[in-house]
Amino acid sequence: MTHAREDERQRVRWVATPVLALTTLAATAACYDGPSREPGADGGDASATDGTETDGDPTDSDTDGTPLVFDPAPAVLPRLTADQYRNSLQSVLAPGLPAVALEPDTNPYLFFNIGATTTTLSELGTQLYEEAADELTHAIFGDPNARLALVGCEPLAPGDQCVQGFLEDFGRRAYRRPLTSEELLRWQQITVQLANPDAWEGLRLAVAGMLQSPHFLYRVELGEPDPEDPARLRFTSHEMASRLSFLLWNTTPDDELLDAAATDVLLTEQGLREHAERMLADPRASAAIQEFFAQFFDLGRLDGIARDPMVYPMFSSTLPASMKTEVQLLVNDFVFRRDADIRGIFGTRNTFVNEELAMLYGVDAPGASPISFVPVELPADGPRAGMLTLGAFLMMNAHETEPSPTRRGKYLRERVLCQTVQPPPDDVDTNIPEQEGEGKTLRERLSEHATNPACAGCHSFIDPPGFLFESFDSIGVFRTVDKDGLTIDASGELDGQPLASATELGPMLAADPRVGTCVVKQLFRHAQGRLEHETEADILLDLGDRFADDGYRFKRLLLTLITHEGFRTLAPAEEEGA
Amino acid sequence: MRLDDWGRPGRRKGMLSRRTLLRGAAGGAAVSLALPPLEAMLGTHGALANGADDQPIFGVFFWANGTPWHAGHGAAQGGGGYPDLWTPAATGVGYTPSELLMPLAAHQVSVATGLEPKTEVPSDPPGQGDGHMRGFMVALTSDRPRPEGFDHPSHTLTALRPSLDQYVAKHDEFYGTDVPRFRSLVMGISDARFHDYGHWNAISYNGPDSLNLPVMDPGQLYGLLFDVPADTTSLTNRASLLDAVMADANDLRGRLGAADRIRLDEHLAHLDEIQRRLELSVAACDDPGAPAGSADLIEKTDIMAQLLARGLLCGLTRVFSFMLTSPATTHLFSNLGVADEMHKTCHDGLWQQVRDITLYQMQAFARFLDVMQATVDPTGISLLDRMLVFGTSEYGEGWQHGNKEHPVILAGRACGAINPGVHQRVPDGNLGMAHVTALRALGIETPSYGFNGGETSEDLSEILA
Repeated sequence: MTHAREDERQRVRWVATPVLALTTLAATAACYDGPSREPGADGGDASATDGTETDGDPTDSDTDGTPLVFDPAPAVLPRLTADQYRNSLQSVLAPGLPAVALEPDTNPYLFFNIGATTTTLSELGTQLYEEAADELTHAIFGDPNARLALVGCEPLAPGDQCVQGFLEDFGRRAYRRPLTSEELLRWQQITVQLANPDAWEGLRLAVAGMLQSPHFLYRVELGEPDPEDPARLRFTSHEMASRLSFLLWNTTPDDELLDAAATDVLLTEQGLREHAERMLADPRASAAIQEFFAQFFDLGRLDGIARDPMVYPMFSSTLPASMKTEVQLLVNDFVFRRDADIRGIFGTRNTFVNEELAMLYGVDAPGASPISFVPVELPADGPRAGMLTLGAFLMMNAHETEPSPTRRGKYLRERVLCQTVQPPPDDVDTNIPEQEGEGKTLRERLSEHATNPACAGCHSFIDPPGFLFESFDSIGVFRTVDKDGLTIDASGELDGQPLASATELGPMLAADPRVGTCVVKQLFRHAQGRLEHETEADILLDLGDRFADDGYRFKRLLLTLITHEGFRTLAPAEEEGA
Repeated sequence: MRLDDWGRPGRRKGMLSRRTLLRGAAGGAAVSLALPPLEAMLGTHGALANGADDQPIFGVFFWANGTPWHAGHGAAQGGGGYPDLWTPAATGVGYTPSELLMPLAAHQVSVATGLEPKTEVPSDPPGQGDGHMRGFMVALTSDRPRPEGFDHPSHTLTALRPSLDQYVAKHDEFYGTDVPRFRSLVMGISDARFHDYGHWNAISYNGPDSLNLPVMDPGQLYGLLFDVPADTTSLTNRASLLDAVMADANDLRGRLGAADRIRLDEHLAHLDEIQRRLELSVAACDDPGAPAGSADLIEKTDIMAQLLARGLLCGLTRVFSFMLTSPATTHLFSNLGVADEMHKTCHDGLWQQVRDITLYQMQAFARFLDVMQATVDPTGISLLDRMLVFGTSEYGEGWQHGNKEHPVILAGRACGAINPGVHQRVPDGNLGMAHVTALRALGIETPSYGFNGGETSEDLSEILA
């Protein structure tokens, strides 16, 4: 290990300290709850003793000499998210298919991919799959050109060579691996039994059936014995193709990746890296990574937002979407265009605005129109720096009539720093005093939080950074007085560091290693479709170290993750009743 | 087993005998006295010919954020000196409706007051006593919420068991062998949601992490109920195709861990249901025509209720869940001049606005019942005569998330099993009594119901006929 890495590790491991110190200062029950609370371990503070008892292969060591042990978790069974299902159909059937209704995704622990491994499909959801398979295959097989494009030959008799060749080929794409002979026989029989009135109809129904098979609807990634370690499993080459593809493209593997899988090249680090790099250069990677950040940043919450135009003349029905686009352009800029330290997104004065955002921010933006976004640099003496001073964050964390320092502070703690804020105690009055609130700012009314010991534990953790955003109203317009005409005090603090305004927070976050470990943790959860297990603490630690070494460049993190043994191996399934 | 003219188990007789048994089990000696006259159970029409008049319908009608707070909810809630606009002044038959129950007066709904959840509240992880989650789960499942995930920002919580609608829909004693096209229908009106996950946008559960998200779009509901293809050959093919799908899945089952096998098995059980439905093939109902949409909650309630009523009338299902607004709703009642979404409005202590919203939600409930009352079969029996609608919310009141005085309405006659127009007050009573009452009224033998401290063998004896 180089000295630089050691320094990084010192920084990474140090970060828990001020937070834990704060916990001890809190008057009541701890608000930030370190690693023990969540089912999984907490990136920066793994208990290193866990690893010493296992027979994993130590590949690295901690600063105190304890070897890092990459101990994987058992398999999960993700059902395709709605996007993954639709994308996969475009890939295996044809582009430009009609839209079909599907059961909406759920997002426990922020990510659709986690809902995909925990939520059980409903009866209606099952019916929607059945109807979609029927409708889409009718759309294709009802069109002589489209069906020929898909099948590649004309079936002359049910179950003939054309049919068989197509089933093998289509089956491989739909199941992300070659069909077993039993499966092939099963679908071949369907093409014969249901060939009424002709061979095409039998083929259509076989396709409709395969699209309802759990081998298509679920990502079956259960592993095989790992020749290097009998105590664990590794993902097969085809399963790695699937993992790569759903992570980087949010869809099923293409033929090139499946061909690679067939040669077992995806069992090697080199092969994985080459294909990942190829895939990252494809526009599908951009869409998939945007989707990850949209879930991480909770951008979906902008969709339903409404504001009274009488109170907020700058609000328009298009404003929430404009704000979402702005964040997407920033993500694109940091990840793809400049390949820069992703933490900078929280500190940068550079952003992208269309006409209404330029007005909202009060900046000149030549060339901006309702639909054209242009890059702008926000003024150095202005009130904005970083994503937490931009419309999306400010508006989604506000009420209709007033902003919410608590929500904004909570978002900072939970989303940006990956800290846990406990729910209020059961017996506490969570309401902001309104009746006695005459002549007081929201900040003053919220001061009850700091003086009531039952509230202070958490709110002294959430509110002080939240107050930094009080200069922005419910749609993100800068203000110096509140709705009652009272002067705003937007000073605050983060973990004991006093801050005059949100513009001082931004650069701090952009250099904070906690932001880096948080990105690692969220990506790991999204990629695995589950929370991290305690045994995986060293995996997260190692990913965090390497992310720091790579200057917190997100694409590098993806490559590190994909080639990491923590992403390529798994524990045997837990026995029933265990 | 005695079969009726259609070869089905004799439901009327079966129902009676089950009720006899259960009264015997629960109520001791006074069995014959407690039984209502057969005439009452059948309703005044007593039409035996069409065989449907004795098939009760069960539904849940849910609205968000309870009722306006008052001293009955607790000392803090009483501090403002606001009156109780919910609880009728008198108890018993023919009570005079309170201000908020007035919209429902025409339907002579019965109401139970004083009820509250009795489930345990474990301290770890914290937050499990929160009124929204606890009150909602107890009102719908008679159990506490699953503890796991409470401390996560996404409020990853779920039910431990089926909600009452699903418990009924899958109970052998409810449908027996005579299962209609849909075991249940799950609908919703407002799509405003407090959080994306779990109970924040659904009130119908099959079990943990297995939710039935409501159909919100009238067009989708219409398609589900009435848009049945005329081509029965194609439906038969689709049905037989599912055998191959299930065979394909069987290879996978044995390779999965226990939790995933359960998930897959549920999926396969759904395929069985879909297959059964495809085999029923032909349309069972007259097509009422494609519905319009509406952004107005009451108008949309009317549209969805009309579709549901047509489906109920022609026997597509006998169980439903109808979520007017989702728990802790963030619905913006700007039509009532309310500036903030409802959840915040409650927390801001804006009692008058919560009063207006609750009244409006009761007007929506009334519109729903109007439709059910107006939908009659050829013998003149209305859906409401056959129906038991369990109307409830997530807690007593939304300002403090108070769980006392949980609102419970039992609307409809349930084929004579429910006494109309009764106010029964059970101070500090177990909310589970509402479930026991509903289950017994539906002919499901229920010595007791409730879990984790919520158990009770008592029903609302004045409301249950």
